[in-house]
Amino acid sequence: MSEEILFDCLHAEIVNYCLDSNKEHDLATLEYIGFTTGYRLIERLTREVSRFKDELETMKFICTDFWMLIYKKQVDNLRTNNHGMYVVQDKAFRFLTRISPGTKQLEHAPKFVAFTCGLVRGALSNLGINSTVTAEVQSIPACKFHIEVNRN
Amino acid sequence: MAFCIAVIGKDNAPLYLTTSDMEQELELQYHVNAALDVVEEKCLIGKGAPESKELYLGLLYSTENHKIYGFVTNTRVKFIVVIDSSNVALRENEVRAIFRNLHLLYTDAICNPFYIPGESLTSKKFDRAVQKLMSGTA
Amino acid sequence: MSRQASRLDAKKVNSEFLTLTYGALVTQMLRDFENAEDVNKQLERIGYNMGMRLIEDFLARTSAPRCLEMRETADRIQQAFRIYLNIQPTISNWSPASDEFSLVFDSNPLTEFVELPPDLTNLRYSAILSGCIRGALEMVQLEVQCWFVQDQLKGDNVTELRVKFVRRLEEVIPAGED
Repeated sequence: MSEEILFDCLHAEIVNYCLDSNKEHDLATLEYIGFTTGYRLIERLTREVSRFKDELETMKFICTDFWMLIYKKQVDNLRTNNHGMYVVQDKAFRFLTRISPGTKQLEHAPKFVAFTCGLVRGALSNLGINSTVTAEVQSIPACKFHIEVNRN
Repeated sequence: MAFCIAVIGKDNAPLYLTTSDMEQELELQYHVNAALDVVEEKCLIGKGAPESKELYLGLLYSTENHKIYGFVTNTRVKFIVVIDSSNVALRENEVRAIFRNLHLLYTDAICNPFYIPGESLTSKKFDRAVQKLMSGTA
Repeated sequence: MSRQASRLDAKKVNSEFLTLTYGALVTQMLRDFENAEDVNKQLERIGYNMGMRLIEDFLARTSAPRCLEMRETADRIQQAFRIYLNIQPTISNWSPASDEFSLVFDSNPLTEFVELPPDLTNLRYSAILSGCIRGALEMVQLEVQCWFVQDQLKGDNVTELRVKFVRRLEEVIPAGED
């Protein structure tokens, strides 16, 4: 799909920009770019939907509709311990599918998931859910996003 | 004919307020604040089934001179519209339409990358469009 | 997809996602650099890199033969905007020698929702586009200059990009700009 390659290119350039060794950047900047994007995007996406009943319903929206619209697929698995911890599993995560699988590439994997961590965190934040979102890549292109809701 | 539109952010910080009648501004602000209490009641999560799954909350309350309507987005942003009671021509579906348009304008305004969430809305584009919304029914 | 989100238009959402991501990048750059001109250069550079990659996809997608002259090139660029950004700029203002033309845009998805603050008048918000055109064409051995003549973000009615042929390049792979 043409829009996909355009965005993939932009994402790759943003990753390079943030991790350029000349600057004092790191994954946090990349994550923040995702955060502010997710925050605004969810405002648009939730315009036409009815009110979310609770935290779980909000999470389900992120894992189905949100993921589908951004990543063209639903997540493969959503698990929760019902105490604010959610694990979102995507077996073929969009920004990892272009990297060749193999343990050598694993060290680069965090670069390609940081934006999405921010995206999800930003979306949740605007929906009133403060969280920490991290990603775990054990074998490319599968990825697990860990969402921990701060309930203070 | 007093007409007031207000946008209030998540933590009840006012983001935008405009009124077609500056003399009544103070009174209208009072109404907006009172309306927020009613909105809170209607939207309390965990209070059992919410009254409505709709974002539009309808008439929050009325006074002798004013009718106050409310709307809450999924992102906890509240829109309050105060209408002069003498404006009997304004029908329910027109009020809904005002909120729908306001919602569209709001989401566009916060998508300006130079806007910082939580700050007041100072966008001229937004202000112009909301003024038109007000005068369209005044 | 749930019943709720089926009301959302996927193409539109994609476009908005791009717009918002790009906006986040631009504002980040403004925090990183002291002045807008540096940001302009960065955006151009990113556009240039993207152009070099997108041209491969474009050529594969359209199996376009080599352009022999600028009029064909202009058509291809127009086609590329349609394919990748779903917009159709008009081609106009040809120079007498047919080596320079304008792309005129009624709308620009990158700038949807954007309101430029008054102190950023020398920011070329859409500089990524001019860089992209330059990078793409350089990969097919065409060196061009590309610049903004009008910008809707600055109050003009349309956004106008001017493209000028400079020279044909030798058949070597150009080094990417660093």
